[in-house]
Amino acid sequence: MNFEDTDFRQEAIDLENPFDVKLVKDFLLQLGFEFDPSEVECTMIVYNLKGELVGTGSHQGRILKYVAVAPKFRDTTAFALVVTYLTEKLLKIYKHTFVFTRPENAVRFRGLGYTEIATAEPLFTVLEFGFESIRTYQKYLKTLIVPAETSEIASIVVNCNPFTNGHKFLIEKAASENEIVYLFVVEEERSVFSFAVRWELIRKGIEHLSNVVMIKGGMYVVSGAIFPSYFLKCETADDIMQKQADLDVTVFARYVVPVMKIRKRYVGTEAYCATTAAYNESMKAILPGHGVQVIEVERKAIDSGNDGPPNYISASKVRQAIKEDRLKDVLDFLPDSTREFLMSDDSLAIRSKIKTGQGRH
Amino acid sequence: MKPQTSSQAGTFESSDVIFLIEPLPEKSGRKIELFSTVLHQYGESFKKTVVEMLDQYEMTDVHLIARDKGALEPTIKARLETAIKRSLGIHEGTVI
Repeated sequence: MNFEDTDFRQEAIDLENPFDVKLVKDFLLQLGFEFDPSEVECTMIVYNLKGELVGTGSHQGRILKYVAVAPKFRDTTAFALVVTYLTEKLLKIYKHTFVFTRPENAVRFRGLGYTEIATAEPLFTVLEFGFESIRTYQKYLKTLIVPAETSEIASIVVNCNPFTNGHKFLIEKAASENEIVYLFVVEEERSVFSFAVRWELIRKGIEHLSNVVMIKGGMYVVSGAIFPSYFLKCETADDIMQKQADLDVTVFARYVVPVMKIRKRYVGTEAYCATTAAYNESMKAILPGHGVQVIEVERKAIDSGNDGPPNYISASKVRQAIKEDRLKDVLDFLPDSTREFLMSDDSLAIRSKIKTGQGRH
Repeated sequence: MKPQTSSQAGTFESSDVIFLIEPLPEKSGRKIELFSTVLHQYGESFKKTVVEMLDQYEMTDVHLIARDKGALEPTIKARLETAIKRSLGIHEGTVI
């Protein structure tokens, strides 16, 4: 007689131990995953008493990663065990958890009670579970709706790392052309300028614009959960990045646009960064189908005084200048709020972080 | 009784149910989200079990989420009781 042996044991592995890492790495390789231990915080395995590895799962922050079960054990409870273990752990820390998986596997997570947020065929589906969900974010959005008389409602999404005259120009332009502008500020703490600092610099910089409403991007507007590539290197645009951008734009179109009745989205042209360029492409492809016009505004440049190429304003140039200790060169890029902040001692910690750091953000 | 912390009990496995409980500010009432693979057949009795137990512990301001995969009534009761006791901080004998 054949009976199901479900006497499974579960254990968190020691990511510092090369033997443990190799065990998981080899296991995942057979299943088509390249396991990168630097991309996870914690990894758990499920095994049975014959010493067979049944399945594994990891997480980084509130995102589940590398969840896989050996084909031979797919009829068993192993998958639910892995997901329960990780979800239980994460919900003690966070209000909700995300899964990033291939669309064909989304059904397994849905079967457990995860809710799908969006899909970008054929690479990604994002699902979530927990005390909060995208409905919670929509409720927050509803508290910020300003009653409008016309349909001239525009939106802009900014990270502002840090806030420059380029951002200010784009916001001012949108504000002058529309009745209301909803300004979404990326909340993810992956940039050298913290969310609180970025928010404050923008708030001070746009005080004179009464029809601009600032909104926190939460976990859904350019977040590490949905668009992790945004916060990585930006040399090459690949499929993965493009699909993540699609995902982010789809979430915006599906959950934010209808609530706020947004009709336009303003973006600056992108000359330097492949990620942002890919993001702009996704917007142009997806948003018009949801009744949102994408308005690409020529990036603001500083008059360089000669016939040379225009000196476009860019936050990354500002960071580069700080790194090389020549803040003076970019003072023209900065609105008062940012200039004062960078000249003051309040920004000492951030400046030294930029000088020693290497990442894009 | 007023829940002190958010809590959970149960698993995603088949024939089991997972409950999440989160305290809400006073006078906000109960917010209950039930999902079940057998909602059509047993949804009513599932709801009744949950409401009765919340009544029993006089929990009025609470956010409760359930994901059920066909758990039997004793299982539902056991999981919910554990989740409630954990949220109340009176989970003697149960591991957090």
